[in-house]
Amino acid sequence: MRADQRTFRAAAASLAVAAALAALAACGLGGSEEESVADKDSLVIGVKADQPALGVKRPDGTYEGFDVDVATYIAARLGVPASRITFRTTNSSVREKVLADGTVDLVVATYSITAKRKMMVTFAGPYYVAHQDTFVRADAPSIKNVRDLKDKRICEVTGSNSWRRVIEERKVAAKPVTVNTYGACMDALAAGRLDAVSTDDLILAGFAAGRSGRMINAPFTDEKYGVGLKKGDLKGCEVVNRAITAMYQDGTAQRLLNKWFGESGLKLNTSVPQFEGCT
Amino acid sequence: MTLTPPQGSPVRPGPPASRPPAPPPAAEPPSRPPAERAPRRAGRLTTFVRGRWLRTIPGRIGTHVALCLIAIVALLAVLTVAIGNARDSVQTIGHDAGPQVVATGTLYFALSDMDAQVANILLIGRDHNLGIGYAESLRVYERRRAEADAAAVQAAQLAGRDPALRRTVQEVLDGLGSYERLVGAAMKLNEQSGHAPGELPPDVVNAYRDATDLMKLQLLPKAYNITLDSGAHVRQAYETKRSAVLSGRTWVAVTGLIVLLLLVATQLYLARTFRRVLSPALVLATLGALALTAVGAGLLTAQAGHIRKAKEDGFDSILQLSRARAISHSAFADESRYLLDPGRADTYEQTYLDKSLSVIYPDIGDKPVNLENYSAGLDQRLGSYKAGQGSVPFLGFLGDEARAVEHGREADALLKTLTAYRNVQRNDVQMRRLASAGNRSGAVDWRMGRTSNSIRDFAAYDAALSSLTAVHQDAFDTAIEDADGGLRGWNAVPAASAAVLAVLIFLGVRRRLAEFR
Repeated sequence: MRADQRTFRAAAASLAVAAALAALAACGLGGSEEESVADKDSLVIGVKADQPALGVKRPDGTYEGFDVDVATYIAARLGVPASRITFRTTNSSVREKVLADGTVDLVVATYSITAKRKMMVTFAGPYYVAHQDTFVRADAPSIKNVRDLKDKRICEVTGSNSWRRVIEERKVAAKPVTVNTYGACMDALAAGRLDAVSTDDLILAGFAAGRSGRMINAPFTDEKYGVGLKKGDLKGCEVVNRAITAMYQDGTAQRLLNKWFGESGLKLNTSVPQFEGCT
Repeated sequence: MTLTPPQGSPVRPGPPASRPPAPPPAAEPPSRPPAERAPRRAGRLTTFVRGRWLRTIPGRIGTHVALCLIAIVALLAVLTVAIGNARDSVQTIGHDAGPQVVATGTLYFALSDMDAQVANILLIGRDHNLGIGYAESLRVYERRRAEADAAAVQAAQLAGRDPALRRTVQEVLDGLGSYERLVGAAMKLNEQSGHAPGELPPDVVNAYRDATDLMKLQLLPKAYNITLDSGAHVRQAYETKRSAVLSGRTWVAVTGLIVLLLLVATQLYLARTFRRVLSPALVLATLGALALTAVGAGLLTAQAGHIRKAKEDGFDSILQLSRARAISHSAFADESRYLLDPGRADTYEQTYLDKSLSVIYPDIGDKPVNLENYSAGLDQRLGSYKAGQGSVPFLGFLGDEARAVEHGREADALLKTLTAYRNVQRNDVQMRRLASAGNRSGAVDWRMGRTSNSIRDFAAYDAALSSLTAVHQDAFDTAIEDADGGLRGWNAVPAASAAVLAVLIFLGVRRRLAEFR
């Protein structure tokens, strides 16, 4: 009796040890994979709170705008319904930080893809390529492109570098006038204290809604609005890219662009943008 | 056999073994009494009967052998699965999807260069010998058109059952038809006008704008995304297969260990029971199992290494460099567009800068990002850069390449590429200087190589970039060859080895069992 019990025990024990080892090994391999937004049941999405038509926080605490709609669409493609999305106000200065520490899963907040940011953030998209354009009063037909801003008063918004793109990068000798926000720029333009407001066309279109004036439709830069993800989440990035492709193929992108910017007089591009590639 | 005493000294039933005559009487009595007692409870009977035979020495030997064989079959199974995974990953990256994805990269390049040739033809106008010349531009255009078609076929194959990707490919092909019609219209107007180089009438400019906008806003992005998306599929397959190969290796090691433990246990059991020294056949089987496990695990490690080398040093770099090449050509064409469409000169200057930045982005501190600071930054950062030493003071495609560069041929090719790139950028500075001073024909002559080495310098840059790509292509080919070579023969090896092990085990116990006949 004892003999075969021992044989059995020995065999059982060695099998059990082996199974445990194997299980450990399997766990170790499975556990080393990074968590991806592609696998999440709920998402926290960073958006802007103060950009008309792009990301605005309503008095009741909900958010609306093109970015918000795009984010909602992408989340749905990732299997997360609107009820499980938490939007969070994310200002430009904290976008890298909140992605790195995981307080926010995705940033969809007029977030331009640049070589420097790509070192810290993985970008899906762009979901739209905005261009710097210029908004002028309706009674200023002589301003047709960025060169015509020479000697004109343009808006220098604290913290934005759009004015630099005119004066320093394009070397157009415009006169910068410091104003706090783009909303205030529009007021100043209407009041005749400024001649032009130059920044991303979608931002301009948002602020220009309901005001008289003219978009000159002479874009001179490409601002690639990307979806920010935690650095290294390539799987999530690839899935978001497929969602954006679908958004353009099924006509949603065109619908959303028209919904938010259709009346701005802006030339909208309704073909899928060239993606940056997930790195 | 004597082994059945209800409470005998069963641990070491050795003595009888040496004298086999015992079995017949021994085997009989134990089986009967239980059979008679059994009827009381049927369940107990079966367990009892089952346990009973185990108490015989042949029964125990049989158990040992059975456990060993099960473990060997398990080892065979995990080896086969793991090697199958390795084979799949080599097939995907090295032979099927990998090269096809690289081939789709040609689509972007070919489309972009078609538009570049159109820009050149329109820019030189009636001066058909300027630059590479009218006829040569047309010839290149046609060649690119054919290359685009071939690449689209590859892309369509890759798209397979992915409807979104298939649709993108279809849209590119449809768009290409429209593009060619628009180009046809622009070419016709161009011929009718017979304008001097760089002095395009507005209708030609407008016709070209229609064509190039379609290309830039619709065709090129989609072509680029096709390569990205199919590349993403390859990356996912690579990640999955590679981790399957690595966990397969763990499984092989664990099952191999079990086989070894069981063989050693059998050996010990026989040695104790029959008071013999080692059984040579079992020793051979143990060594064989050890060798099979070690070689199997080693093979899988090597395969994982080859696949990674092929993916990271080959596939990824080749794709990155092919993008760098396509974007560089497109930027070079933006110089022509800058000259032929003064109304959009600022836009084309900006896209030229953006494209240049994506190829190499030197650290220029807080200075405004314009072409002037860009070329100054290039001279400053590239002048002092030594491939493979210290940190890399620039970003962009070639920055990524520089960060992963290996000494030797690759580093040399990279340095040549960087030097050639600086020459291209110097030519650009000079061309823009002429243009912004109002000397348009001087700028056109400079751009077209009549008063400069612009065209030759760009060709040298392109050649340098190609030889850098060739280094990675070689790394890729070698890694895939090694992987294929490593796997050759491994169809049969696991099964054959398992069969040999089984035979050895039988040989090892046969004599012992024979003693009981």
